[in-house]
Amino acid sequence: MPNILEAKGLRKHYDGRVLLDGVDIALERGSITTVGGPSGGGKTTLLRILGFLTEPESGRVLLDGTDVRTLSPEEVRRRVALVAQAPAMFEGTVLDNVRTGPRLQGKSLPEEEARRALERTGLDAQLLRNDARALSGGEKLRVALARALVLSPEAWLLDEPTAALDPERADLVVDLLRSLAAQGAPVLVVTHDERALKRLCGRCCTLAGGHLQADGRE
Amino acid sequence: MSYVNVTLVQLVASLGLMALAIVLSARDGLGLEKDMAIGTVRAAMQLFAVGLLLALLFQHEHPVAVLGLIAVMVMVAGWTAARRISYGPGTGVLFRYATLAVLVSGAVVLIPVFTFVIRPARWYEARLLVPISGMILSNGMNGVALVFERVFASVHDDAASVEQLLSLGATPQQAVERHTRAAVRAALRPTINALLTVGLVALPGMMTGQIVSGTAPGQAVRYQLVIMYQLVAVAVVAGAMAARFARALSFTPQKQLRSFDDRARPLGPPKA
Repeated sequence: MPNILEAKGLRKHYDGRVLLDGVDIALERGSITTVGGPSGGGKTTLLRILGFLTEPESGRVLLDGTDVRTLSPEEVRRRVALVAQAPAMFEGTVLDNVRTGPRLQGKSLPEEEARRALERTGLDAQLLRNDARALSGGEKLRVALARALVLSPEAWLLDEPTAALDPERADLVVDLLRSLAAQGAPVLVVTHDERALKRLCGRCCTLAGGHLQADGRE
Repeated sequence: MSYVNVTLVQLVASLGLMALAIVLSARDGLGLEKDMAIGTVRAAMQLFAVGLLLALLFQHEHPVAVLGLIAVMVMVAGWTAARRISYGPGTGVLFRYATLAVLVSGAVVLIPVFTFVIRPARWYEARLLVPISGMILSNGMNGVALVFERVFASVHDDAASVEQLLSLGATPQQAVERHTRAAVRAALRPTINALLTVGLVALPGMMTGQIVSGTAPGQAVRYQLVIMYQLVAVAVVAGAMAARFARALSFTPQKQLRSFDDRARPLGPPKA
């Protein structure tokens, strides 16, 4: 199957430490990949590079076979969703937040679509009118997922998406990620959550000492 | 009308006021005595030096000398604005942009006024060009410094939101629009407040100076109004330019947010 998102020979160091030492990763259509490893080991940096928020010192990232540096940064970021562990909420309601991506392109998103996106993340659509900044950590994460969902990205990158959730809510997020993968978008998840790892049924990798290695477990 | 001379003896007598201020500072434990003492001497030295320079310039008025002095003022304003920034690119980088913003905003405001409003007998008449340019450039400098300081600091503090917007496909302009707008508004606030309250709270310095030196109040008012309108215009132009420069400097060519302290940036707000 062709790779929608691929990185070759990524190198990055910080503060004298090598975070990525020639990392290769290929995300096939419909695949789920999980990345574990020690804290400060470069997992977030890898996500930031794949999400085009940070440049590697060397190596390249290909989106559907094209070097991302030849594409417009805005286009790359719309096509690759990057969801942080503790996502920042913008001023306004949940609806305002979900509508952010389309608004940035000068488009308006019907409330019904925002509602559907929110419900797919397991969040009660009655929260649409609530102040997004007053939500709990878990609710904010799901608003961030809905915010990205409405842009219909081709690939998903998530940093500890279940860390702030109770098992029931975490399962809903895992189910959502599996359904996204089933629809063809590759999903890359940084997580230490054993329960989520098992339920994601993805290819497990570990990033340590600058190297990304497959764990051999699925 | 004529102005009242201040003799050197009378000037020295006014030092009693500084002595009073220093004594009160010491008594109340403000810890400002040293700064006040240094400031007293330094202000006198700086102003006497400027007075001598101006006297020399007026005696030997020449276009090159007048423009040269204004060029020095622009450079010093650019350097001062760049040096005050606590977080951002280095002073060397900011100096170029600050100087350009001060120069362009000053030119936009000063050239039309000296061409159409306050028309000197000779276009390089130092008596008018130097003090008015000084006031205008100084306000431009303050605008640039405030905008630089605020944009770099607030974008840094709010990096998680800015990057989240980038991740949703925002352009750098969209991602920091809130920060640049707030910075320009904050930079304009003192000048606009001065415009709104002028004459109600205090008479402005230039008008006071003109009246004290014998100018008819009606003329002094007209001069002051021209100056105040110039101050607002220069603050707007300088602030808007500084905001654009700060935005451009905040992002890499790949439209990624720059970090100026080389700290690793987390994804989103700090984790609990």
